[in-house]
Amino acid sequence: MNLALVLATLRQRFTSPIRIFIVLLFGWMPMLPILLAPSAGFAALGDCYFIALALAAGMIGQDLSSGILQLLLARPVTRAQYVFSRWGAVAAGTFLITVLQTLAAALIMALRGAPVQWDQAALFLANNALLALGTAAVMALLSSLAAGLGDLGLLFLVFISAQVLEKLGMLKSWEWLARGAGELSRGLKPELDLAPFFHGGPVAWFAVVSYLSTVTLCLGLAVMVMNRRELSYASSGN
Amino acid sequence: MPPPATDVPGGVPPHPAGSPRRDPVLLLAVAALLLALRVVLGFHEARPPAAPTTGALSGADAVRWRTLEAGLVEARATNRPMLYDFTADWCPPCRSLQRQVFADPEAAAEIESRFVPVRVLDRQREEGRNARWVDSLQARYRVNSFPTLIVTDADGRESTRIEGFMGRDATFGQLRGTGVSLRWGVTQPAPTGRR
Repeated sequence: MNLALVLATLRQRFTSPIRIFIVLLFGWMPMLPILLAPSAGFAALGDCYFIALALAAGMIGQDLSSGILQLLLARPVTRAQYVFSRWGAVAAGTFLITVLQTLAAALIMALRGAPVQWDQAALFLANNALLALGTAAVMALLSSLAAGLGDLGLLFLVFISAQVLEKLGMLKSWEWLARGAGELSRGLKPELDLAPFFHGGPVAWFAVVSYLSTVTLCLGLAVMVMNRRELSYASSGN
Repeated sequence: MPPPATDVPGGVPPHPAGSPRRDPVLLLAVAALLLALRVVLGFHEARPPAAPTTGALSGADAVRWRTLEAGLVEARATNRPMLYDFTADWCPPCRSLQRQVFADPEAAAEIESRFVPVRVLDRQREEGRNARWVDSLQARYRVNSFPTLIVTDADGRESTRIEGFMGRDATFGQLRGTGVSLRWGVTQPAPTGRR
């Protein structure tokens, strides 16, 4: 990972008005239920998926379409470093918003006289950190495949296809199809519930392996795609 | 595009970080390994549990499902949350859930001690319509896929929703997230689905 690239990505993401608007919308709207019912707990905040999407959209694709990537890669930066930096920056930005959200929610709870359960807050933050890392990895892969904001289109396309295949599998009683399509669908939102690690109890190893497999696969493939991409000022569609 | 600077003979210094296009071999190897493990665990999770030895009706649920009315009365009387199982006969993941969780006598006993279980069986496909209470509950809790497990208090306020079936451990992990203490799986050396 390259710190300069991480900071540049964060600056780029947090100076885009439309992204700021979406982040504010999804970051602060969940404060409403906390304001109305402070005892609802941190779970009422929901998760950071849409914040991650807002920050991740076009994380590589926009550099491809704008020609920035050619300039960036003229510097002593490997393509893997570039992908990992983008991924890390998006995940860190999302996590930062979640931390602010959690602190704001805790403040509201304290001011409204509701007990602040810090173990719940820690679990909420840990789960969201994993979701941010996972979503950023998926978007890194999709963004390496499509220019501009095409990654959002790809995400939607894969989601719809997976849903259709899952329903078809259920309709035809093809368990393998329903299961496979379900896995694909869930893979678009890689999350892992760390509650067993916090509260004890059996760990769902399949969920742990699924999460790690999705993240590593997406990152590995994103780097491979980028390594095979031909970049030149004369090439079109990059 | 011309070959990377490192490949140009003479003149251009080598890239400080090695080849700029080096594939992350280690990461890809770990990803492949995890993917293989995921497939193996996926098959393992989907395997039906061994036949119960005591206490359960063979091939049937070990959970004693309450009717809606009886369940509501019991939930109020015992102050236990309701556990609605929205399911359908034609749905393969629902059958997996039934086999791996509800048919297991230990899991069932634990569920019954913590929740008041009510099954909401969809018959739309088989009979063209559902009982009114089924439609009403599906609409109330916005159920649009099966299986869906919903935990509510006796007044019907939803606290947890579990859509789909990710395996017995994941299901119990999410049920534990309801704040209701589930002993099952903690005291057992291994869940029965992994025997």
